[in-house]
Amino acid sequence: MVPPPQRFPPELKSPLQISAAQSYGGPARPQESPPRVQEKARRPSPGHGPRGPIKAAMFSEVSAPREGSSSLLLCRPGSEDPEPSVFDRVQPAYSPCAERFKLGERSFNRQYAHIYATRLMQMSPLLTERAQQKWGADVRVRKLCDLQMGEQCCIVGTLFKHMELQPSILKEISEEHNLLPQPPRTKYISESDELILEDELQRIKLEGNIDVEKFVTGSVIAIYGAEKNDGKFTVEDFCTADLPPQTPRTTLSSDRFVLLLSGLGLGGSHADSMLALQLLVDMVTGQLGDQGEQSGAATISRVLLAGNLLSQSTQDKDASTKAKYLTKKTQAGTVDAMRLLDEMLMQLVASVPVDVMPGQYDPTNYTLPQQPLHHCMFPLSSTYPTLQLASNPHQATLDGVRILGTSGQNVKDIQKYSSMDSHLEILENTLRLRHLAPTAPDTLGCYPFYLKDPFILEECPHVYFSGNAPSYQAKRITGADGQEVLLVAIPEFSSTQTACLVNLRTLECEPIRFSSFSAGDDEESEMNISH
Amino acid sequence: MDAKRRNGGPPMGGASQAKRGKTGGDWEDSPSIFEEELALFEEADMEEREGQAGHDVIPVGELFSADLNPRWRRPQAAPLNPDSDTLVFQQIDLDYYLGAAVAGMPGQSQGNVPIIRMFGVTDSGNSVCCHVHGFAPYFYTPAPNGFTSDHLSEFKRELNSAVLKDMRSNKDNISVTVLAVDITRKESMYGYHGKRIVDFLCITMAMPRLIAPAKRLLEQGFKFGPFPIQSFSSYEANIDFEIRFMVDSDVVGCCWIELPKGKYRVREERNVGETDTHHPGKVSLCQYEVDVGWTQLISHPAEGEYQRIAPLRVLSFDIECAGRKGIFPEAEKDPVIQIASMVQRQGEKEPFIRTVFTLQSCSSIVGSQVLCFTKESQLLQSWAEFVRTVDADIITGYNIQNFDLPYLLNRAATLKVHLFPYLGRVRGIKSVLRDSSFQSKQMGRRENKILNMEGRVQFDLFQVLLRDYKLRSYTLNAVSFHFLQEQKEDVQHSIITDLQNGNEQTRRRLAVYCLKDAYLPLRLLQKLMCVINYMEMARVTGVPLTYLLSRGQQIKVVSQLLRQAMKQGLVMPVVKPEGGEDYTGATVIEPEKGYYSVPIATLDFSSLYPSIMMAHNLCYTTLLQKGSAEKLGLTPEDFIKTPTGDMFVKSSVRKGLLPDILEDLLSARKKAKAELKKETDPFKKQVLDGRQLALKISANSVYGFTGAQVGKLPCLEISQSVTGFGRQMIEQTKQLVESKYTISNGYQADAKVIYGDTDSVMVKLGVDTVSRAMEVGREAAEWVSSHFTPPIKLEFEKVYYPYLLINKKRYAGLYFSSSADTHDKMDCKGIETVRRDNCTLVANLINTCLQTILIDRDPQGAVAHAKEVISDLLCNRIDISQLVITKELTRTAQEYAGKQAHVELAERMKKRDAGSAPQLGDRVPYVIIKAAKGVAAYMKSEDPIYVLENNIPIDTQYYLEQQLSKPLLRIFEPILGESKAESVLLKGDHTRCKTVLTSRVGGLMAFATKRSTCIGCRAVLKNDAAVCDFCKKKESELYQKEIFHLSTLEERFSRLWTQCQRCQGSLHEDVLCTSRDCPIFYMRKKVQKDLDDQEKLVSRFGW
Repeated sequence: MVPPPQRFPPELKSPLQISAAQSYGGPARPQESPPRVQEKARRPSPGHGPRGPIKAAMFSEVSAPREGSSSLLLCRPGSEDPEPSVFDRVQPAYSPCAERFKLGERSFNRQYAHIYATRLMQMSPLLTERAQQKWGADVRVRKLCDLQMGEQCCIVGTLFKHMELQPSILKEISEEHNLLPQPPRTKYISESDELILEDELQRIKLEGNIDVEKFVTGSVIAIYGAEKNDGKFTVEDFCTADLPPQTPRTTLSSDRFVLLLSGLGLGGSHADSMLALQLLVDMVTGQLGDQGEQSGAATISRVLLAGNLLSQSTQDKDASTKAKYLTKKTQAGTVDAMRLLDEMLMQLVASVPVDVMPGQYDPTNYTLPQQPLHHCMFPLSSTYPTLQLASNPHQATLDGVRILGTSGQNVKDIQKYSSMDSHLEILENTLRLRHLAPTAPDTLGCYPFYLKDPFILEECPHVYFSGNAPSYQAKRITGADGQEVLLVAIPEFSSTQTACLVNLRTLECEPIRFSSFSAGDDEESEMNISH
Repeated sequence: MDAKRRNGGPPMGGASQAKRGKTGGDWEDSPSIFEEELALFEEADMEEREGQAGHDVIPVGELFSADLNPRWRRPQAAPLNPDSDTLVFQQIDLDYYLGAAVAGMPGQSQGNVPIIRMFGVTDSGNSVCCHVHGFAPYFYTPAPNGFTSDHLSEFKRELNSAVLKDMRSNKDNISVTVLAVDITRKESMYGYHGKRIVDFLCITMAMPRLIAPAKRLLEQGFKFGPFPIQSFSSYEANIDFEIRFMVDSDVVGCCWIELPKGKYRVREERNVGETDTHHPGKVSLCQYEVDVGWTQLISHPAEGEYQRIAPLRVLSFDIECAGRKGIFPEAEKDPVIQIASMVQRQGEKEPFIRTVFTLQSCSSIVGSQVLCFTKESQLLQSWAEFVRTVDADIITGYNIQNFDLPYLLNRAATLKVHLFPYLGRVRGIKSVLRDSSFQSKQMGRRENKILNMEGRVQFDLFQVLLRDYKLRSYTLNAVSFHFLQEQKEDVQHSIITDLQNGNEQTRRRLAVYCLKDAYLPLRLLQKLMCVINYMEMARVTGVPLTYLLSRGQQIKVVSQLLRQAMKQGLVMPVVKPEGGEDYTGATVIEPEKGYYSVPIATLDFSSLYPSIMMAHNLCYTTLLQKGSAEKLGLTPEDFIKTPTGDMFVKSSVRKGLLPDILEDLLSARKKAKAELKKETDPFKKQVLDGRQLALKISANSVYGFTGAQVGKLPCLEISQSVTGFGRQMIEQTKQLVESKYTISNGYQADAKVIYGDTDSVMVKLGVDTVSRAMEVGREAAEWVSSHFTPPIKLEFEKVYYPYLLINKKRYAGLYFSSSADTHDKMDCKGIETVRRDNCTLVANLINTCLQTILIDRDPQGAVAHAKEVISDLLCNRIDISQLVITKELTRTAQEYAGKQAHVELAERMKKRDAGSAPQLGDRVPYVIIKAAKGVAAYMKSEDPIYVLENNIPIDTQYYLEQQLSKPLLRIFEPILGESKAESVLLKGDHTRCKTVLTSRVGGLMAFATKRSTCIGCRAVLKNDAAVCDFCKKKESELYQKEIFHLSTLEERFSRLWTQCQRCQGSLHEDVLCTSRDCPIFYMRKKVQKDLDDQEKLVSRFGW
């Protein structure tokens, strides 16, 4: 099992904790207790074939749901409560719409030019329209090859940022033999960076009113200005495609929540976060808190894990460079951590539907879109249909609320190659660029798409998130056409012990912290699971 | 395009590692932004240009109308008044022609006379053509006994008629061949004969080409007057006329010439009818054209302000031609489609003219002028006009000498563009192609094409690099990566035609590429300081700049020797070249092989051979023939006997010419080095550094000159004495050091000379710190030096610590010189690092092992690394680019005597696809593949791309045994011991894990069906599932291992391909580059392949 034996350390002073403990009669709660909050309708039935419950029971008799004991088991034997309450978990309408990120058979015989070309082709009518809105319908939209020197005009194109410090594989290859490691940097921008705009055929250097540091390669924008006779384009103004159109969401009658979570970092060295994680699992499955808490937990309709389920330390980078005769017998570093994940997930999925997105350090492919984790790695939890193995980026509609987001690679990459630091700011920026991952493929690994760029935002999400941020951040923005978007930077759980709870009715978000009890931050050490 | 890099020259092996450029260091990713660079240039030029809207696309047909780019022309030349103005210019080219005498000028006034022509540039950037009159060729012959001045006219008349009679035709209608015969007092340079000055006849001929017959007639036996028929030996009859003039007028290459006011005449533009012998019209395209008498001009020695360099115009260009599929472009059939040109003023940072001439329309390129033509003939003619307008002093490019220029010329001839082949500065002289072959000890035999361009110096960077640098590959791409750390997009020639046949955008892409090819040579010239160094060399040795590229080392020594001899009234005999027996070379003290983990001090004789010649006064003029010592009554104090038994008089009797020349060179070098230290201006620093290097090379070539048996004046007595002294001194040094630095003399240990070669000895002093070794080393050097005649000097130069001595001329060590605490570099001599017949894997592995041994002092680590690489090799994990061997295809298969791997491959590739097969002159890259037993080695070569695509197994045993094992054992034997090295490195666990590929072509593959096997245990499966039932429970583990591998490959794929996308400078277009010299090229192909395979494997797990 996931957690270490000391589930409720005695130092815990929070009233909530006490009430939870009281309701169960202290920390010695037996392990057999089934989930308090149940998802009735979607419990697995024998009809599920190889992933059915029989097999599950075989693997773990301890936690597997038992057939036929559904209604009674919620009442703990010997409980003082005469009327044991069972809270049915809310059942939202869920439809995953991440088809665009699923690839099936892949081929790597193509180059990256196509994705840039498609991106520009698809986005340039949008930008032309924006440009006409912004600078008047009669603004001259030019191709670079028809550019007249000195003429005020608008050009739509893909940005390319020339960066001195950008790591280059060419350099690394030649340095391999010189044993000179390149110092790793957190940012690769420098004073000498230059912005270049490229349309279908040509490129031109940009100067003037455009913040070189803020932009990244791969963004499609429209610029307004004129070519000065020194061969550079002096930018007076620019515009981005901005928010895409949005389907209005349905009005919900009651609060429903989605729990967003990322960066579990299993297999790492964060013992604190393991405890916090167990608390979270218990909270969600309704094994924690009084009945009020439990009824609250029942309103959590779905849990979404946004990547980096495993810790970076499970990545054995040496394995790929070491000679084969030395690594033949070794196994991947992720094996133990995956087992742990499977067990943890099993607790969750028995009670609540869970979307699992892979992240940078998880055992799936490297390039975006990352494909769902393979079910063979989840022998325990994959027997439940509530386990939804999702791609990264992931998109789904929950009770008419469109949720879209990534495990954070896109944001982190932009952070490295621009002056922006705040994950939330970068997230908003990508929304305004109408593109999930502009730096793909340049610095962010990406599948060589042909004739489509799935990262273009065609419809505006209601909730737009990215995972593995250093801290929790969220805000609501309203678009020019009345689009309403909640932006959430989901913090890395292993270092912050914080998850985010999004109210699908109000599109409000708040952090829940399952704090560790390390000395020195007493004020924060209360377990804030209120919402 | 690499197809045109022909005549790559013979492979050069055995070069030191020092020449390998430092990778790493300051990097620029700038190839990707070449266009931006172009755009940037424009910025700097803005001040000069008039505000003119739009880009500089001059429409077809209007090229030479009024709006010709004003920057093309040279700056307006101020009017020149010969009576009040002094004309000062730097001459850069010098030749002579036969022309009508100009009245009022000195010299012969009748018929055609030889006239020296100098071309140059003034400080203000105006071009000058200067006709120098009155200088006539001459030579010497000893006067027969009893010859007096009364016999002169008779002699002259007889010789004149003999020469006239000898002429088969006399198309110039020469009546006077011998202009004058005079008696002068001279002395022969060869041998010491008691300063006996004798009468010589100085015979002045009317034309340079008459010297040879005159000399021959005199030698054959010549009778005149009362004298019996006799043979006259000739002196200085084999001197080039230009050199003769330069020596006599004290002009050196690239020096500044001053024409004082009132001493010269200016030529004006005149129509045909208006000229007369007194007022000839301008014949050149230069802005100033003047006539001067040869004694009137002042030549300034290259000192002080006259070290400067005029603002010379350097034109670099590159052409593209649209070849047909599979055939190397032929000028008779394939059109020239683009010519890119860049012009830069010497000393400036960026080119100020950037143009590209294209056939068919082409979109504009920011920062460059695009000129489009619909007719190829017009393009060619316009470009020739462009060259004449720009009036470049130096023309450069990459392999222009043997490809671009001949191609243009032949193409123009095919299209009958009659105005094209006038590329020189003299009107009416057609540029024609000639074949030349050139042989020198230094470079071997070269076949070259020569194109005359009067007044312009052709400075083909490719030729310069071939001459001065030993590289693995000489493609422009490899060279620019080596020196500038820039990759260049390499477009295959078959694609060039496609790009040309596309639209104006694809042609623009080609134009950008073409411009880059014109730009890189300029950058390289600048970076390598070629122009500066060559000019310095020309100044120091006194020969014209063009000689340095087209001639060998000898002419440089001849020029210096003549200058020196003239001062002393000596004349140089003409000797018939004859091959002689070889003499013993330098000595080598038998190395005591091993790995030394104690400091080894190295003592060097600085400039050994020059200093021996100076110390012992070895020269032609001091050589005593056998028996002549007694004859001349010399006492034993007056001469020395060299270790080889030759005798030379001491400097007290007569100072030799060669020691004089050497002293001048070495003191000039010392001066240059001292100035270099003081100088702060980086450009002047470059000049001085180039100068001191040129001086050093020249000093060393003097020794070579005396030993060149087919040379102008070989003298084996000198050269063998020099090496004899060298051998003696090395031995003596060894004895001295080992006798003084002993325990019995109070030193820590007995010193031991472990190795010595030519001019250095390596001493194990028995001290344990570098600083102590330096101390003792310095002391020893000084002490030993005191035993030798100055200026011979033994210098302490460096300490090697640790030191790996493998064999004669093979060693490596960490080099400590400037400081005792940090090493300056890792020094490797004679170790497989640059050799081109090896694959790069060898060089890389040896290099890394040496670094681990020497820098990290971790011999075990080096062994482990070697094992890992061997394991990687056997497991097919080595990047194929490291296994590629490259050889140049110089002849067709029929012409090669034996079968050769690369030739056979070229033949096979031609059968597969004639379009992409290597052409004659290409370098053919290949790898050795596995084949059945008994297949000849030359049949096992295969195209690396084909290998990757078809999964063909590499013959890893070949690489292990034929390529890696010897060099590896060599460096590890001193460490591990001879028997152990082999068993540790080449046998053992790491050699047992192998990856066996199954080829997709050939053999039995056509009959085999592939069955899936379990990923876990390799059991054969009935279906295409991933694992067998037994391994099912391990499925997760197995999957994770495979998916991790997939993810690693994907990361590599995306990094490699985006790098290429960046490098080519365009996001929206596919990468076309096929540069096989780029380290990424094979990698990106291989990763594509591997990734597809791994993807298939992973997909067996199902989604």
